[in-house]
Amino acid sequence: MTQLVQAIILGLLIGGVYALMASGLTLIFGVMQIINIAQGAFLVLVAMLTWWLWQRTGIDPIVASLVTTPLMFGFGWVVYRLLISRIRGSSASMSVLLTFGFALVIEGVLNVVAGNRFRSAAPSYFEESYRVGDISLPKTQVFGFLAAVVVLGVLYFVLTRTWTGRAIRAATQNPSGAALVGVAATGTAALAFAIGSATTGVGGSILSVLYPFFPASHYDWISRLLGIVVLGGMGSLPGALVGAGILGLAETLTATYGSLGWSTLVFYVVIMVVLLIRPQGLFGAKLREDAV
Amino acid sequence: MTRLRAIPRAHLAAALVLVALLVYPVVNPWQPYPQAVMLLGFLLAIQASSWNIISGYAGYISLGHSMFLGLGSYTVGILALQWGINPLWIAPLGGVTAVVVAMLIGSVVLRTRGHAFVIITIAMLLAAQILAINSRGLTHGSDGITLELPFWSRDFQNIPFYYLFLGLLVLTVLFSAWLRRTKFGTGLVAIREDEGKAASIGVDTTRFKIVGYAASAFFIGAAGGVYSYYLTFINPVGSFTILGSVTIVLAALAGGRGTLYGPVVGAFLVQLAGEAATVYGGGTQSRVLLFGLALMLVVLFVPKGILPALQAWWLRRHPADVEYTDQAGALGRAPSTAHEPATAHVPAFAHEPAPGQDPAPAPEPAPGQGVVTVRERALERAEAAGRVAPGEVLLDVRGVSKTFGGLIAVDGAGLTVRKGSVTALIGPNGSGKTTLFNLVTGGMAADAGEIWFDGERIDAMRPWRRGHLGLGRTYQVTRLFKEMTVQENVVAPLPDSRWRTMFAGAVSGHEAARARELLDIVGLGRFAGQRAGSLSYGQQKLVELAQVLMLRPKLILLDEPAGGVNPSLLGRLTEVIRELNRGGVTFLVVEHNIPLVLELCDPVVVFSRGRPIAEGPPATIREDPVVLDAYLGDDWRPAPDDPPRDVTTREAVQ
Repeated sequence: MTQLVQAIILGLLIGGVYALMASGLTLIFGVMQIINIAQGAFLVLVAMLTWWLWQRTGIDPIVASLVTTPLMFGFGWVVYRLLISRIRGSSASMSVLLTFGFALVIEGVLNVVAGNRFRSAAPSYFEESYRVGDISLPKTQVFGFLAAVVVLGVLYFVLTRTWTGRAIRAATQNPSGAALVGVAATGTAALAFAIGSATTGVGGSILSVLYPFFPASHYDWISRLLGIVVLGGMGSLPGALVGAGILGLAETLTATYGSLGWSTLVFYVVIMVVLLIRPQGLFGAKLREDAV
Repeated sequence: MTRLRAIPRAHLAAALVLVALLVYPVVNPWQPYPQAVMLLGFLLAIQASSWNIISGYAGYISLGHSMFLGLGSYTVGILALQWGINPLWIAPLGGVTAVVVAMLIGSVVLRTRGHAFVIITIAMLLAAQILAINSRGLTHGSDGITLELPFWSRDFQNIPFYYLFLGLLVLTVLFSAWLRRTKFGTGLVAIREDEGKAASIGVDTTRFKIVGYAASAFFIGAAGGVYSYYLTFINPVGSFTILGSVTIVLAALAGGRGTLYGPVVGAFLVQLAGEAATVYGGGTQSRVLLFGLALMLVVLFVPKGILPALQAWWLRRHPADVEYTDQAGALGRAPSTAHEPATAHVPAFAHEPAPGQDPAPAPEPAPGQGVVTVRERALERAEAAGRVAPGEVLLDVRGVSKTFGGLIAVDGAGLTVRKGSVTALIGPNGSGKTTLFNLVTGGMAADAGEIWFDGERIDAMRPWRRGHLGLGRTYQVTRLFKEMTVQENVVAPLPDSRWRTMFAGAVSGHEAARARELLDIVGLGRFAGQRAGSLSYGQQKLVELAQVLMLRPKLILLDEPAGGVNPSLLGRLTEVIRELNRGGVTFLVVEHNIPLVLELCDPVVVFSRGRPIAEGPPATIREDPVVLDAYLGDDWRPAPDDPPRDVTTREAVQ
């Protein structure tokens, strides 16, 4: 029983982190119908940056996200302006290929600069746990989860309570309508892409503590994130939260009762089953199609 | 010599290259390294050409296609070990596994449109890797499987593999070329260009995509079997590598996706560049960076690929005399080909040719009967169905509703269209006419109500099923497949769901001949070879009509056929509609050109606020105060002494 509760709590903690990581991806997709395959590479890039900061200054990796988040915001803005905006209007598959190429470039650069080996940031509390009764909660998981919840809260606040956020949501729901009421599509898209990238600032910092990583880890991460987004329904933020929770649980439960090796596969099994039953994902809305 | 000239230059060049490649190991037999580079180039070309079927023709990008190579390798490797036979003899089984897996994945992911596919392809590649690592009993996990060495003398080195891969490549290209020349290939391209439209012309998009995905997997799987024997070692990381997928995508994209030879050319470019990078540029590690950069550069600067870019450049340098909108020619052709053949061909359109069955003339309205209230008319319709236009009911819309958010587009509408009639549907903009069309043809699902067509309930059917039943439509704004030729556009529709039809030839054979006939009927025969996007708007409307006719429809829904069409082409259009109607095709026409409606159609149904408000013969409708109020406007009054079908009616409006 304790084992089950432990697994469920761990699964939810991990799910929270997944939710944060997937939120940027689904936000970017929602606003501009672009699947940013480089999102996983952004995460690994931030993890590397955090690791380097932690090594140099001894700063807590999660606190370091105060530095990496604005950096990634600016990075996202520049990437949008220099690369993504050039292929607006061409088919969606081109954006997949472009961001895929960009992910490879980041991987290649990290390979050259940092070398192809595993790293992991290990702050002082790395091995410690909180104990609640029989259940032990690793501090890294708890801190990671709390950071993710804070950022998701801020993101929710920005999207619902500020003009910028409302503009982004308007552009998500109805691009031409948003343009009519004076929401500049390009500016909004750049902003959404920058915000989406900024979420990897915290996500990547958490990653550097929770998981060992190396330049090619981004394939793992992007396929997990994409799985979450497909599961939740593409472009739906609540969908990403629920999808992340489900997959986090599925993963830890398999790891607890099955084997660690199979736990990553569960991800893909769950996704295929959901797509079989609900092709549009859990929260995917049926949009007006074919209207001429 | 003249016969040689008839073969396109690209095929000649390909044949020459093939001869050179066949001769190469004979001329230069003792050079294992260049042979290995070449045969890996063949392998990449096989993969890129296969990828091109689903991602180039059909436009569904797969980022996990190297999975099929791994699946093929593992299938053949495992079976060869278990059965104790040489992997080469069972290499095709690798292809079979690949096809089965592709069908399974495809039938889950390809049922919907859009982005899930690309995502799942990456995920499945990684899942396959995890599966191979974890199924230790079958795959020996990360240790991998070691196979026996080739049975031939070491003196021959790679030469047998060289010819095997070259042979597979030739088969792959021939297969791809054949597919592209069938209606299946045309359908795949149609899906890439406009999936919704493709579904409306009878293309079973789900089946097409799944079969396309499976077709793109077979040769990769078979090549994987051979490849496992070439390497004599299979392991999960090497078999299911994402970099393998990257090279496939890069090769096909760089060469020109959607073209026949582009992926092959691209494969050789990528293979040689990759080899050069490994030798001179710091080993395998730099490949990731290099391929990533190359992929970005191709997407940003030559998104269509090198071969199409070169072709465009060549055409700019050597402009051909293109006959654009040569209307006189189109019309000039019409009388010679359309009139007599039209009557001769017409029975071909209708399932039940009805010679001599003229569109039933409506009973002449008695004087004074013109002004009728809506209620009276509704009563009249209810008690004397069949008096308006004789013939059985072909299309029956019963209480159908559709809302978009708070907007009620169609509000419990009922509508009947009788066999052999040309029924008009008129009404102000936003009254729900086009939405009703979408509901009938299956572009959208109705919220409530039933739709019956020719005795079958169709409102839950997929669009292509409705097309197969004989329901065709044209669009308000033409939706031709702009990158396809006019001929391909007309060949694309599928009148039924038989596999034979699906794999019928689209370039030659009876389907192509029929498309040519139809083009002649609308007077556009000599534009057959042109890109549909280069035609004028009015001509596109005519092509779209020809396209619908290819479905052998019983009922054609025309959405504003006259919009944007100049008077002489419009004359041709009405002429065609009349001819077809005489041949037994029923029409439902949405049109704002009232004189045209009154001249061509009977009965006329008036729509307002999502439901019909009046129905009757044109002469009655144009006097109906309700209609005048809702639509035509108070100031619209035909001169009383003008006969209803006089040309001057048209001027009276203006």
